[in-house]
This record gives sequence, C-alpha cells and structure tokens, in this order.
Amino acid sequence: MNAGDSSAEHLTPAERSLAQHLELLRASPPIGAPGLVPRVIRGVRWQRAIREPLLLVGAVAAALQEGLGLLFGRPEDRS
Amino acid sequence: MLQEPVRMEPDENLIERTRQGELTAFEQLVERHRNIVFRVAARIVGPDDAEDVSQDAFLRAFHRLDQYRGTAPFRTWLLQITQNTALNRLAWARRRPTEAASESRDAADRDPVRQPAAALEDRERQERLELKLRILRPEYRSLLVLRDLEGLSYNEIADVLDMPIGSVKGRLHRARGELIELLRQNTYDWELPA
Repeated sequence: MNAGDSSAEHLTPAERSLAQHLELLRASPPIGAPGLVPRVIRGVRWQRAIREPLLLVGAVAAALQEGLGLLFGRPEDRS
Repeated sequence: MLQEPVRMEPDENLIERTRQGELTAFEQLVERHRNIVFRVAARIVGPDDAEDVSQDAFLRAFHRLDQYRGTAPFRTWLLQITQNTALNRLAWARRRPTEAASESRDAADRDPVRQPAAALEDRERQERLELKLRILRPEYRSLLVLRDLEGLSYNEIADVLDMPIGSVKGRLHRARGELIELLRQNTYDWELPA
C-alpha cells in the first residue's frame, strides 16, 4: 500500500480505494510541538537525579525488613 | 572546492555515548526520532495526548537503554516502546474521541471565508477518516498506522509488534477490512467498491 515491499502486495479494489483515502492522512501528518525535546531532556535529568537515591532507599528498606524479620520473626522462620 | 558532506553520527554511537552518561547524545537521538514517534503516538491516541505519550516513550527508552541489544534498528525498538506506551494510555484512559470535541478544536480552521471549498472538503474527509481510524480496535489501529501511514516494512512491523510476518499480514488484512466496513457504515460516500 505504501513504501517498502508494497509492490508485491495484492490489494482488493476496496483496499486500493482505502489506500487513496489514507493518502490524505499521509499528506498531512500530525506535527509535534517544538518543545518536546527540551521536555524529554528535563524529564531525563530529574528522573536520573532521583533514581539513584530511590533505588538506595529501596535497597536499605529491603535489607532492614529482612534483618528485622530475622531478629523478630516467628521461631519457625528463624530455623 | 569540494565541501565534505555532513555525516550523521550513527544511532549506535549515540546510544553508546548515552550509556556512558552523555545526555547530549540522547538529546540528538530524541531530535532525530521525535517526528515519527509523535506521528505514531498521535495516530494511535489522538493529538491531545500525543505529546505526553511521546515524552513517556522517550523517557522509558532512556531508562531501558541497557536492554537494547542492537538486533533491530533503534527506530524499531523505539517504535515498539511508543506503540506499547500509546496502547497502555488508551487502556488506562478508556475514552473515545467524540465528533464534538474534534469539531470544536478545529472550528477556527474551518472558516469558509478563509478556506476554498476543495480544501474544506479535504479537511472534512481527513477528519472523518481520523475519527474512524480511532474507532478501530487499538491493535488494528497500530498496524494501519505503522504500515499504511508510516510505510514500515513487514519485517520492521513484525519486530515492533513482536509477531511473525504471517500474522502481521493477516491482521493487516483484517484491519483494513474493518476500517472499510466502518467507512461503509458512514453516511459520507467513500466510494469503496465491494
């Protein structure tokens, strides 16, 4: 219907007609706002900044939970 | 004097530099692929949510860059993330665009004084077509967008959707059939032969 390997594609008459209609959409693609790139980079910056501390807090919490479980858990858990 | 052509740095280099912490390299990747990511997102979720979906897709790609193995082009991998992000957004929102919303958004552009009749008719057909496309089930919509609007090869679509080429072809045929049926039900005459 379009680029690439379309030449080998067998289309029904209705599909061929549909392809012509879709040409209208192809000819006027949605255009993204120019602010997308700075928004993405800002997002990456702050997510990267909080990611390491969050992972550290998560690891500490998991270790604490395991340690407390060993110290105060039920006797059968400790055996 | 012959001027040396400007060579674009391959995606693989930019990916490697990003992995080493160079944010400017990732910025180049975003700049390079933002148009296709936005187009695919907009065709799947609609123009209102497309920018958010595009941003989410790039952020996910950044955090998962270590998982990119390079077996397929970066664009394919990125479109896979975009497609999944868009479908997740649809599943989460569970809302459908209404004709009223679309009409109010573009009312200013349809001023008959400013637009000739042919352009108005094209615009009308385009809007109707976009609405019908968004009524299609999301999986079919993705396929039609990737193949019939973005012109991806069957191989690339198979990678993006993670399915065999035979399934891609079969589903694409059904997707087109469903869209044709939707258009035939419309009062507008699309002149689609049987």
